[in-house]
Amino acid sequence: MSALLHEQAGVVEPRTVKVWDIAIRAFHWSIALCFAGAWLTAESERYRDIHVLLGYTVLGLVAFRLLWGVVGTRHARFANFVRGPAAVAHYLRTLLSGRPERHLGHNPAGAVAIVAMLSLAALAGLSGWALYEDLGGEWLEETHEFLAGAMLAAVGVHLAGVAVASWLHRENLVRAMLTGRKDDPRATP
Amino acid sequence: MRIPPFVLAAFALAAVLPTVAATPAQFLDAFAREARQADTAFAASAARGRAFFSASHGGEWSCASCHTEKPGTPGRHAATGKAISPLAPAANPDRFTSAGKVEKWFRRNCNDVAGRACTAGEKADVLAWLLAAK
Repeated sequence: MSALLHEQAGVVEPRTVKVWDIAIRAFHWSIALCFAGAWLTAESERYRDIHVLLGYTVLGLVAFRLLWGVVGTRHARFANFVRGPAAVAHYLRTLLSGRPERHLGHNPAGAVAIVAMLSLAALAGLSGWALYEDLGGEWLEETHEFLAGAMLAAVGVHLAGVAVASWLHRENLVRAMLTGRKDDPRATP
Repeated sequence: MRIPPFVLAAFALAAVLPTVAATPAQFLDAFAREARQADTAFAASAARGRAFFSASHGGEWSCASCHTEKPGTPGRHAATGKAISPLAPAANPDRFTSAGKVEKWFRRNCNDVAGRACTAGEKADVLAWLLAAK
């Protein structure tokens, strides 16, 4: 928001800072596309090989994200954004109060969604792999479907959270995940 | 469109109790009974079931593309090449013993082969043919 307003006001220098590195953004949109594709190809045997390929790609992406969560750039590291239940509750209370606590990286509630989605993506992928390799019977089929459904639910919560946080913080979080940039907290009151 | 109450009941049962135990003959009976709602003279036919099983229904695949013309023998997935255990209950006693699985796989496979849901009569016919297969 501010970059455009500043340009309109004749301020050339964009008052934004880099938050999401290219690896995080590529990971985010890749796993979103892979999960969407895997969901859409799940119902037909015709697309079974594509479904399996997308599932294995999801597993690879999750493995990368876990690694990047340890060795990556500042806002990618789990240690910098995964918080306990008290911090999550506090953040949610500030959302309701109308004076939301701003986090330049992931907020504590978003972190919960991220951990849930990474876990469910890994479990859905692993159960799908075991299913494809005939390592289990009907229970594995049911488990895989349940995990995929839970992942879809977690994605729904994540999208709702992005919409709510974008609205309350007056910042476009979707654009931030595309450009990697957010308003500089030192430049915004 | 009026949906017969027992179809709704069967659907609810399939949703609530996905692993409810049943026998292939019970499924054949239920599908034939459902088919008689539309055609009182309906009687399941293994010959018709065999023809339906082998036909491509305007698409690329038939049931036999994966399950083979001899459903008493193992099949092979037409897209992935993976082995599929025999479909005929005589060769594989696990087949057609769970309402949830029967509903799920007729729904998926009929869509893949025929591009639509199968009728109760078609399911009864196919089941009659599978029950006759060794």
